[in-house]
Amino acid sequence: MAYDQDLAFVYFGPTKIVFGAGAARDVDMEMAGLGCRRALVVTDPGVMKAGLVEGVLKALGERCAGVWSDVPQDTGIGVVNRAAAFAREKGADCVVSVGGGSVIDTGKGICILLTEGGGLENFEGIQLLTRPQTPHIVIPTTAGTGSEVTSMAVILDERKGQKILIVEHFNTPRIAILDPKMTEKLPPLLTVSTGMDAMTHAVEALQSIQREPIADGLAMQAIRLLHRCLPVCAQNGADLAARGQVQLAATMAGWAFGNAMVGLVHAMAHSLGAIARVPHGIANGILLPHVMAFNREEAAEGYAMVAEALGVREKGMDELAAAGAAIIEMGAFLRRIGHPLRLSETGTKEEDLVKAAALSLSDGAIVNNPRMVLDEEEVLTVYRAAF
Amino acid sequence: MAKYNAMTQEWLDAWKEKIATSKEYREIAKNWEGSVAIIVNPDPEKGIPEPIYVFTDYWHGDVRDFLICDKAKAESANFVMSGDFARWKQVAKKEVDSTKALMQGKLKLKGDLTYVVRNIKTVNKVIDLLCEMETIWPDEA
Repeated sequence: MAYDQDLAFVYFGPTKIVFGAGAARDVDMEMAGLGCRRALVVTDPGVMKAGLVEGVLKALGERCAGVWSDVPQDTGIGVVNRAAAFAREKGADCVVSVGGGSVIDTGKGICILLTEGGGLENFEGIQLLTRPQTPHIVIPTTAGTGSEVTSMAVILDERKGQKILIVEHFNTPRIAILDPKMTEKLPPLLTVSTGMDAMTHAVEALQSIQREPIADGLAMQAIRLLHRCLPVCAQNGADLAARGQVQLAATMAGWAFGNAMVGLVHAMAHSLGAIARVPHGIANGILLPHVMAFNREEAAEGYAMVAEALGVREKGMDELAAAGAAIIEMGAFLRRIGHPLRLSETGTKEEDLVKAAALSLSDGAIVNNPRMVLDEEEVLTVYRAAF
Repeated sequence: MAKYNAMTQEWLDAWKEKIATSKEYREIAKNWEGSVAIIVNPDPEKGIPEPIYVFTDYWHGDVRDFLICDKAKAESANFVMSGDFARWKQVAKKEVDSTKALMQGKLKLKGDLTYVVRNIKTVNKVIDLLCEMETIWPDEA
């Protein structure tokens, strides 16, 4: 293994996982176990409309201090500050987030403000906090972001028009309740695109310059489960067993990338999201095999592990050949699950690619990519291959 | 090669001089603007009885103030990084990558991480130049 020479790392993953169909109904018991009495429930209008919050509110009963459902697709500092003021007014001593990445990140921000006071604009940075924050229980309604187990929150600073990053070990959610029923009604495209977000987290963790054995193990199992079960979910969303395995995979991939970080796929997907509004999971999925081809030589060892997890590493294959097999299988997998294959299918215009390539070079994820990227022409070549 | 006691004004002056005379730094750092404070937490056993506050300022390839300062000055910097002496020493000797140290909670950063990461080559070059100096660390003196 390449990592045994000067291996030194910190693995951090303190979140308790509660898994099972109907597990969301246990939220009151989990909350009581944390010693909390009044929860602010954070969600968004789409999740409310889908009826996914009702069961949680019923389970919480009088333990629910209030519901904040005004979370937009990209949450912001103003949203968090207003929600935290509401939570204080209601006397909340914990937060229960029911939703996807934006809702969960809003919940993370509220937890900081309930403990520390002030506005979230004062907490931009890394590991600034010195004590455990307000308890946070997360009930994801998508299976992809992994945010339920990471220390990171991405929040829009509305005044500056840019996203800020807050990374705090002390603010990692205490409990994630993974209830397959919460993802049962996800439509096929959202199912496969969020699933490919998770797949990308796992593959990029395995190729990262910060990869380490624990994250590698989690990433490998996440890939196996996604490879086996995401096609089932795409065909039959009501298959709760497959839904559950995909949720677990997303969480494992969250632990993997939360420790080992992500790379060029994410840098390019973030940039396409900013320039052409391509949804994050779709951009990740389309770009993944193309970036793997770009990284193949430098990441051959990690991709050979991807090939093993995908079941395409044949006996006698060297790492480079196995990496090639992984790339081919990833493309075939996208076709099997009905995921978009070309950026041109997403409304992206060719001129967007030039702007996105330039922006990618300044994205933080790029520093963890195994192949050093110094020139926007290199990024543009990958974008064009995926166009 | 001259040796300098770590975290003294003399050491900072020598470090500043190395950066200021590096053509490579000037090219790499042409987009960087802003000050960086380094706070070293006290560790009496390692010869650091009080916190040490260092203020460094960089502007599009130029270097400006490099000062041992007080807490207020340090906290006025655009980026404030803090940590234990042992961690800083590991970073300064390139035994630990600075980005990894941040993500793993070994160092703390107040400020825009994405800006730091975008300019990681600048950060690494500043550390490389520090590594080229012969430094006498308080626990080795």
